[in-house]
Amino acid sequence: MALILKYFVAGLVRYWLIHTDYWQTISNRVEIATPLNSWKRLIEGIYLYDHGIDPYEGDSFHESPIVLVFFHFMLKKVPYLLPLIFTLMDILTAHILYKTSKAFVLILEESQEKIKQNIAKESKTMLLNKSQLNEAPDYVLSVYLFNPYSVLNCVGMTSTVIQNLLVSVSLWGAASGQRLLACTFIALATHQALYPILLVVPISILLANVNKGCNKCSYNRTLLIFVLCWSFLIYISAYIMNGSYSYFYNTYGFILTVPDLKPNIGLFWYFFTEMFEHFRLLFVCAFQINALALYVVPLTLRFHKEPVLLATVLIALSTIFRSYPCVGDVGFYLAFLPLWKHLFTFMQQKFIVGCAFIITSVLGPTVWHLWIYSGSANANFFFGVTLSFATAQIFLITDLLFAYIKREFTLKHGSSRQIDGKPAKLVLR
Amino acid sequence: MFKSGIFNIFLTLLIQIKGDDFKEEIFIKPLPPSHLYVDFHFITLVNGEESFEHSYLAPRSLGEIMSRYQVDELHLTLTEGQWKHNQWGYPVLDAAPGAELYAWFNTDVIDVDIQWKKLSSTLSGLFCASLNFIETFNTITPKMSLWPTGAQKPKQNYTSQLRYASLPREIVCTENLTPWKKLLPCESTHGFSSLLNSRMIHNTNYHSIGVHVRRMCVDNNCLETNLEIKQTVALVYDFKIINSMDWSFRKLFGQGLPGACPLSSSSKIYVDTTSNSTYRFKLTPEPNLILLSQRGGSETELAVYNINNSIMMNIVAKYETKSKLFVNIPPPLSFTRYVLGYGKEFGGIVTELTNNYWAPIDVVLLENAPWWLPIQLSSLRVNGEAESKLILSQYYSPGRSRQKPYHLELLLHLPPKSTTTLTIDFEFVFLKWQEYPPDANHGFYIGSALISANLPTAKNYTSLPITGNTFDSIVNASKPWYPMVFRTNGAMVSLPTPDFSMPYNVICLACTVVALAFGPLNNICTKELVLKAPGTSISLRQKILNMFKKKKD
Repeated sequence: MALILKYFVAGLVRYWLIHTDYWQTISNRVEIATPLNSWKRLIEGIYLYDHGIDPYEGDSFHESPIVLVFFHFMLKKVPYLLPLIFTLMDILTAHILYKTSKAFVLILEESQEKIKQNIAKESKTMLLNKSQLNEAPDYVLSVYLFNPYSVLNCVGMTSTVIQNLLVSVSLWGAASGQRLLACTFIALATHQALYPILLVVPISILLANVNKGCNKCSYNRTLLIFVLCWSFLIYISAYIMNGSYSYFYNTYGFILTVPDLKPNIGLFWYFFTEMFEHFRLLFVCAFQINALALYVVPLTLRFHKEPVLLATVLIALSTIFRSYPCVGDVGFYLAFLPLWKHLFTFMQQKFIVGCAFIITSVLGPTVWHLWIYSGSANANFFFGVTLSFATAQIFLITDLLFAYIKREFTLKHGSSRQIDGKPAKLVLR
Repeated sequence: MFKSGIFNIFLTLLIQIKGDDFKEEIFIKPLPPSHLYVDFHFITLVNGEESFEHSYLAPRSLGEIMSRYQVDELHLTLTEGQWKHNQWGYPVLDAAPGAELYAWFNTDVIDVDIQWKKLSSTLSGLFCASLNFIETFNTITPKMSLWPTGAQKPKQNYTSQLRYASLPREIVCTENLTPWKKLLPCESTHGFSSLLNSRMIHNTNYHSIGVHVRRMCVDNNCLETNLEIKQTVALVYDFKIINSMDWSFRKLFGQGLPGACPLSSSSKIYVDTTSNSTYRFKLTPEPNLILLSQRGGSETELAVYNINNSIMMNIVAKYETKSKLFVNIPPPLSFTRYVLGYGKEFGGIVTELTNNYWAPIDVVLLENAPWWLPIQLSSLRVNGEAESKLILSQYYSPGRSRQKPYHLELLLHLPPKSTTTLTIDFEFVFLKWQEYPPDANHGFYIGSALISANLPTAKNYTSLPITGNTFDSIVNASKPWYPMVFRTNGAMVSLPTPDFSMPYNVICLACTVVALAFGPLNNICTKELVLKAPGTSISLRQKILNMFKKKKD
């Protein structure tokens, strides 16, 4: 009953906000709408498509052709239902996250069972009990439903709403062992925004763990299905655009080469505004490798026993370092944090990170207004805010990982920080 | 005197044989109550000759450009100031503020874009103008608004051979006028061009110099074509600047007219005396001829001076009444354009077209937005409606950043006695710091929109008919409609700017944040947690290992 009430209230808030006069302002905010996901650009693309002009000829539309035809159909048939559709999609995302986290909790419980023998006697109390585990999904649901970031993202009617839905479905599919579902949806998400390709790794680990048997065959099968799905989507998109692959430049090319330097909450815009032209290619490559490839292998090797944590961290890192991030992405990975509630006691920078989130969220729109509308501030102010927002997110993620390895250590060696009765310190070696 | 007379006769004979013909004309029209419009025309007709290996009166430099790049028709104007159609009526040839260049290439030319780039660069050198800044990102190919005015071979696709570009930021000055004068047969030593001294003509409200080259039929059968090179200067004087309503050549140009160019076959001055009925003025000396012209429902009276000697003369107009109320009758079609919005995030362009005539007028409107001003076609509203019946036809080519401008052409049906308002939204673009021009906060110029109309009436219309090349041809030249291409006023927007002094700081700070993630993640992935007493000394082996580790880093 409480669950239905939550869904209802969250849906009502979203639906109501879309119908207020503030909708226009919200859907145009730089923090919410980027050139990649904004509703305005989607409308422009559909308008051009409807008038027989190739939307990928120009520079205004960057969604995949599949999204284009979907919304073209929707706008033709049921334009009045679109706010409702966006609200329902976001509620559905929340519900799937709820189900996913229930599956994740089972996985956590299982992995806890495995290490039970190696746990120090005095740390037995730290093990998670049933009630602790069971309340996590409720928190995940509440965080996604009532997080202002996700609410604003849905109200802005950005295509990130769809992307969140696709990613959550594929994670749910992975956690419940449905390989085809997981692969199809992660391929859809990849086709839309490229960065979810990182999640193929945790998904294949999850699938291998859930469907017991030959691990290697499972990885191969997952990878194969993903590649097949993805190529099929690429082919279908070209088919929609009458066999032309020119949409590639406007979707993947746009994400990778960062030609539009409109400010957002990420690190790319000001960096490449101020970049010297002959170093541009080098730094574009460096930043994209940082976002796409750098952390996958080391993190996978270190946390392959905890695919859920790996998934959380990879989603978060790709959000922080992607070329056009928005608050909708942030809201999505924040929803996974309650799964790691038991790590919070080991985290050291909770207060700093929390304060930084609140302060930057307030300061961001303020300095944006000062820069763009009053003309009394300049670009550096907004850049400073986005920089500290990124720093706060990075602290959050690294702190979470440190907390995890500290807990791991404590479980194994007990909570006393002493060597031969003398006080000692935990250090990395 | 005698010697030069013989020389002149000899030269004239030679030219008569060759068939080259040079004419010079001045058209003066008072624009009461406060302005005076002076239009110079220098027309050179070149017979036959394609390759320009030999040239007589025609400038060889320009002729070579035409034949080398296979240009069929060329229009170049360099303009300072804004023609006010509402107050001043219509000019003979309208021009966009700044530099404007458009050309039709021969249908044999395959890669038009390459020829276009070469043409603009060469013209840039010839006229000392920044035409070399014409690139693909500010060039468009108008589909409906521009048509060749010269002779054309039938059944050829001319539209694809057309290129149009305008540089609204270009500042026109003496250095453009001097090479322009060099193209004339008499340069600036004799004839009407000696009046064009830059000290006086840059002291006007509006001045525009232009070169228009086209092919013209020799006769009605059109088996042979001539090349017509027309050089124009349009000036609008402000009576406030010349300090009185009475004008004279001495006041306008700082000197009297030293006579005709000896190479010209005809040198005429036309003074439009139509406004004489309301604003009486007296011309001295008396004109040689008074022409009355009835054209498309309007009557024009022209005073004509035939100049064929080289005696210094000064034409003076003296007004009888100085203070009189003036009722401005607007021309049949008038228009304004302005930018909407505040802040540097979103804006809109509004174009208002007013049809003052009692019959509907069909016009083609060409909006040409640079790539850094992305317009959204979905936000196009005609009188506030998204799907308007006034749009008869539409062409849109979306822009691409740093490659292609946004190009929108609309065929509009303007109902009689009405104002049609077009709005279209745009979003401001954030450029890279090296793409901003010097003085980035000065603002960015948006070029004018082109409005091409077939006017049903010749009210306020001063242009020559399409087949004419001198001012004689406007006399009694009634036609079913009167074609005209107008330029609206340009506009200016102020784009958001980054801090130009920050590149190193920004690069360092952003990289630091990336490193903030890399460091701990690297530690977490490669190291393990151990307990260590704070005071304990590290073993020797560990010390050495640590040293190696550091060196490796």
